[in-house]
Amino acid sequence: MEGFFSVFTVELLNSGIRLATPILLAALGGAICNQAGVLNLALESKMLLGAFVGIVAAFYLGNSYGGLLVAMIAGGLLGLLFAFLYHKYRVDLVILAIAFNLIIVELTVFVMRAMFGNVGSWSDPSIVRIPDIQIPLIKDIPFIGQILSGYNIIVYFSWLATIVMFVVFYKMRAGRHLRAVGENKSAAETVGINAILLQTLALVISGALAGLGGAFLSIGHLKLFTRNMSNGRGWIAIAAAMFGVNHPIGVFLASLFFGYADAFSVRIQNVTDLPPNLVKLLPNVATLLVLIIIGLRSMIALGMARRRFRAQLRAEEAAIAAEKAL
Amino acid sequence: MKDQRLRKLLDAILVPLLAVLSGLVVMGILILFLKKPLFESYATLFSNGFGCREYGNCIFITALERATPIILTGLSAVVAFRSGMFSIGQEGQYLLGAAAAAWLGYAIHLPPILHALVIMIAAMLVGAGYGWIPGILKVKLGVNELLATIMLNSIAALIIEYLVQFPMRADTSAVAHSPVIDESAQLMAFLPGSKWGVGFVIAVIAVIVVYYYLWHTKPGYEQRMAGQSRKFALFGGISSDNSAVRAMLISGALAGLAGAIEVTGVHRRIMTGFSVGLGFDGLTSAILGQIHPIGVFIVAILFSGLKLGAQIGLQLQLGIPRELGGTIIGFIVLFVAAGKLYEQGILRARDWFTRRRGTNLKGESP
Repeated sequence: MEGFFSVFTVELLNSGIRLATPILLAALGGAICNQAGVLNLALESKMLLGAFVGIVAAFYLGNSYGGLLVAMIAGGLLGLLFAFLYHKYRVDLVILAIAFNLIIVELTVFVMRAMFGNVGSWSDPSIVRIPDIQIPLIKDIPFIGQILSGYNIIVYFSWLATIVMFVVFYKMRAGRHLRAVGENKSAAETVGINAILLQTLALVISGALAGLGGAFLSIGHLKLFTRNMSNGRGWIAIAAAMFGVNHPIGVFLASLFFGYADAFSVRIQNVTDLPPNLVKLLPNVATLLVLIIIGLRSMIALGMARRRFRAQLRAEEAAIAAEKAL
Repeated sequence: MKDQRLRKLLDAILVPLLAVLSGLVVMGILILFLKKPLFESYATLFSNGFGCREYGNCIFITALERATPIILTGLSAVVAFRSGMFSIGQEGQYLLGAAAAAWLGYAIHLPPILHALVIMIAAMLVGAGYGWIPGILKVKLGVNELLATIMLNSIAALIIEYLVQFPMRADTSAVAHSPVIDESAQLMAFLPGSKWGVGFVIAVIAVIVVYYYLWHTKPGYEQRMAGQSRKFALFGGISSDNSAVRAMLISGALAGLAGAIEVTGVHRRIMTGFSVGLGFDGLTSAILGQIHPIGVFIVAILFSGLKLGAQIGLQLQLGIPRELGGTIIGFIVLFVAAGKLYEQGILRARDWFTRRRGTNLKGESP
């Protein structure tokens, strides 16, 4: 048993938060799109593009922060292309996502091999990993300091993005308009909201966030690019957005859950001798379970709504009957 | 009547055809970026994907062999899509079917044809069972089948890696693999030295069976109606839930069969890296093939030829990374999805056709 409990350490807490970051960024992007009523299933491809473009830009610019910026721009542009194809040519969003996914998986490796030779993964000693930041004051608080301090800028940005999204969505007009578009597009358009602009904006922002999430993988966490590096995190992010009912705080917590599932599986591989392939199942199984929970949750909500409606109906009937009796 | 049929056929073929051409144009652009010879690249791609070097030594035969699992996983996707289930779980069902086939291939011993038959039925059952999971989750709980099947695909890929590395591992060679299956379980090939054989025949039969099922049987009709419009189907007394689950069972069985054929006909075992995205190729061939069995058949051969040409032609002879093949396939799917891009052109072409036919019939210009 001792071996098993040695899994739980402060490092585990830290790595859970780190591994949650790419999922959180992409999931926030997914939530923005869901709120705006455009199904963004292409998060995976945007992440992968961000991972690749980020590290290549960091190499050529000689500056990893510049790489992050370029990754965000690349993700945003892909989002813009997505919006253009969706609005102009009415392309089915699901097939569009699958096509983009396929293109980016292959194209990134194609370009990598074309530029850097026939390699399976690529890195360069000149590339600097995004440095971790120790927050003054907070880092000195025992335990909490260890958990809250010592991450790189992307992690803090993802927390900031969660807060900003909360404020914009629930305290500002633009956010309310966005949610109105998601709720009922034609109704929003009749009151003069530019639905297409808002949906395009949502796709661009979501692409930028997912791109940054991808760059976190290639220059924030590791320092290399490999084939299909995002490894399904974009899809997990979609589940996280659904699990968190598209609310920033909910999405944050859901992403943490997935981050910990990921960190846990890495940690178990290090300290126990369970077959690594079986332990790697953990994040996927967790996602599947979460999908089932989401399904159960909506079934229960539906059942409750039905019961409420019936009760209301019965009350009204009783009222009518009482009126008649009078 | 005949005109209408022709028009329908034309509509079905034009968009994929234009998409393939556009994909080839994108390929040209990428090759120019690499500063490689453009026309030589096209020639290499096609001669190495579809050509014959000499009599009896055709690469096209290899393309047909490689197309076999893609045809079956493509059919699997067709059946699922036609019931309104956007399942991309073919990869996972294919892998588990292959694992079952590899295990039964050496674990039980039966007379020749029977052994292969038992393996195929078992693999189909395993695939169907794995297809049933997202089906029932969708119907009962409304779980998004796309996400569920993606997760199930990753799970299957990890399970197969685990199986070949631990319980089913044959020896301690560098690449982990399972023991070779019995001779009685192996499928026959048509030509010595090639692996194109009985499996391809089974795939062709499957194309016919799926076509017949979807368009000439009552359950198939119900399934297509439920896929097109849930409410209409309900109005006609068809439970779209039942037909969705049935579709997922059939879809899983077809993908499982693909896995069994790949094991019994080609690899004779499973090994690390067995999953090379064949399930995904099936999915894309279903999209490009207009979600029709015959379309899948044609596109699967085209795709396997393109991949082969990219792999042995472009990569080995010209040093162009073989990922170009996959990239082009992705672009082709994108162009199919954006079929409206071509609408203007298609309308004009149709005008031209009908006008020409008009003059021929009436003998005067319109």
